[in-house]
Amino acid sequence: MSLAILCRRAFFDLRQNFFGQLITTMVVSLSILIFAFFTLLYFNLQDFVDRFGTELGLTIFLTKEVPKDQIPYLYQKLTDLPEVEKVTYISSEEAFRRLEHFLKEEKDVLEGVDPEFLPPSFEVQINRAVFQLDRIKQLAGEIDKWPGVSKVQFGQEWIDRLHVFSGLVRTIVAIIGILLMFTAAFVVTNTIKLNVYARKEELEIMRLVGATNMFIQGPFLVEAFLQGLLGSSLALGIVFAGYSFLQGFETKFELLRGMNICFIPWHYTVAIIASSVLLCVTGTALVMRRFLRL
Amino acid sequence: MISLESSIIRFKDVFKKYYPENVVFSGIDLEIEKGEFVFLTGPSGIGKSTMLRILFCAEHPTSGEIWVDGVALSSLSSAQVPYLRRKIGVIFQDFKLLSNRTIFDNVALSLEVIGLGKKQAEQRVMQVLEGVGLKGKMNQYPLRLSGGEQQRVAIARAVVNRPSIILADEPTGNLDLQRTEEVMMLMEELNARGATIIFATHDERLFENTHRRVLRFLNGKIRT
Ligand SMILES: Nc1ncnc2c1ncn2[C@@H]1O[C@H](COP(=O)(O)OP(=O)(O)OP(=O)(O)O)[C@@H](O)[C@H]1O
Ligand SMILES: [Mg+2]
Repeated sequence: MSLAILCRRAFFDLRQNFFGQLITTMVVSLSILIFAFFTLLYFNLQDFVDRFGTELGLTIFLTKEVPKDQIPYLYQKLTDLPEVEKVTYISSEEAFRRLEHFLKEEKDVLEGVDPEFLPPSFEVQINRAVFQLDRIKQLAGEIDKWPGVSKVQFGQEWIDRLHVFSGLVRTIVAIIGILLMFTAAFVVTNTIKLNVYARKEELEIMRLVGATNMFIQGPFLVEAFLQGLLGSSLALGIVFAGYSFLQGFETKFELLRGMNICFIPWHYTVAIIASSVLLCVTGTALVMRRFLRL
Repeated sequence: MISLESSIIRFKDVFKKYYPENVVFSGIDLEIEKGEFVFLTGPSGIGKSTMLRILFCAEHPTSGEIWVDGVALSSLSSAQVPYLRRKIGVIFQDFKLLSNRTIFDNVALSLEVIGLGKKQAEQRVMQVLEGVGLKGKMNQYPLRLSGGEQQRVAIARAVVNRPSIILADEPTGNLDLQRTEEVMMLMEELNARGATIIFATHDERLFENTHRRVLRFLNGKIRT
């Protein structure tokens, strides 16, 4: 059987059973869509936690004894670091004012306290593009040894907790994703089954007039291939559109800017499409086998 | 006495039993010669259709062996069955037409499966449809046709690929006298061109005045 004849028969079938084919493609598409959404969520959680550390930045406390003329020098030294995006100097007075502001009505407790009792500090924002947790830890250690620096603080504890938490969330999302994958496989094979059952008479008759199994299966497999390909591509297309839409928001609204949404890595999208095609084709072949024994 | 070489169909001690206790054949021995035209008869439910179904491997005997054109059916793998079926044209009692295809496409199916070129197939289908008087309805769908017309489509599909064996299961069951006459003549003609024909019917009139061999079922055996 030549490829041209195979395609002609497949397209004849597609026209004949257009509605059934459309339904199957839609079912494939919806199933993959839900699964892909969770995949997207999974990768973004991972990415988000990795980047979250930048929000916390570093706080570098100076010793109270540090001479005033030393400060611009330290400022310059920090600014020159490639990991650093922005440095803000917080003098003792500024720190005191912030404390007052924080305490609001209770600020009386500070009465009589020397405004100089708080150490001056630098608030350092980390460059997002360079951010790596390990590198920041190392950097904090180095800065800690500089003369005039009393302590370097960064949200280490927070980041660690966040990692534990996000690990948990990611595990849950991954489990849901895997369950959804099974559901998708189940729903898709059942839809295929319905479609093949609806045409079982046709299969039996073809078999009775001397068609080989390959001849009968050919168009069905071509259709299954197209369903798997179109269905999953459509689903990923929708997820991508949603992603682009959110990205547009991200650049428009300050609040979302830190989100930095990422798309499903490309090799995963290829894997999703390939599995979808494989599922449809093997599902069809297996369901058909039952009717091709006669 | 029929020699083994010239017999195209041979049954040896064939039993067929349906679950649980319905014994249809209890030891059938039979030889049909190449080019023969035999009638297969007996009351309804006796096993005429079953015998034909066994011949094209839609059913398997409980025991015994059958040879078709020198090939033992028990030795055929399921992948080889289609090639046996291409040698056999079957006119099904219940027609087995595809309701979503036109008459033309239904008849062309037999040629499509053997990969005959489109042009050649078209010519042959037209010729056969003309022979059964349905050329004018070739673009209709089977359910729009009368029972007799559907039966003639089934006949057309069975003979269009010029099989060497034709199994006809009540091919005149839905036809009036004139159409029956025509079908009988068509069968005679195919037989004259060399096809072996097994014609199952319970209508005694069809073979009353012929010299053809008549196979009668009785108690799970065949009487000639
Ligand atoms: N698939 C089956 N399962 C169980 N029993 C069957 C099956 N097919 C046929 N039979 C039984 O085998 C017997 C023979 O059936 P068959 O169809 O061969 O009869 P027939 O001679 O063709 O009758 P008719 O003239 O009405 O067509 C019947 O008793 C029937 O009930
Ligand atoms: Mg019958």
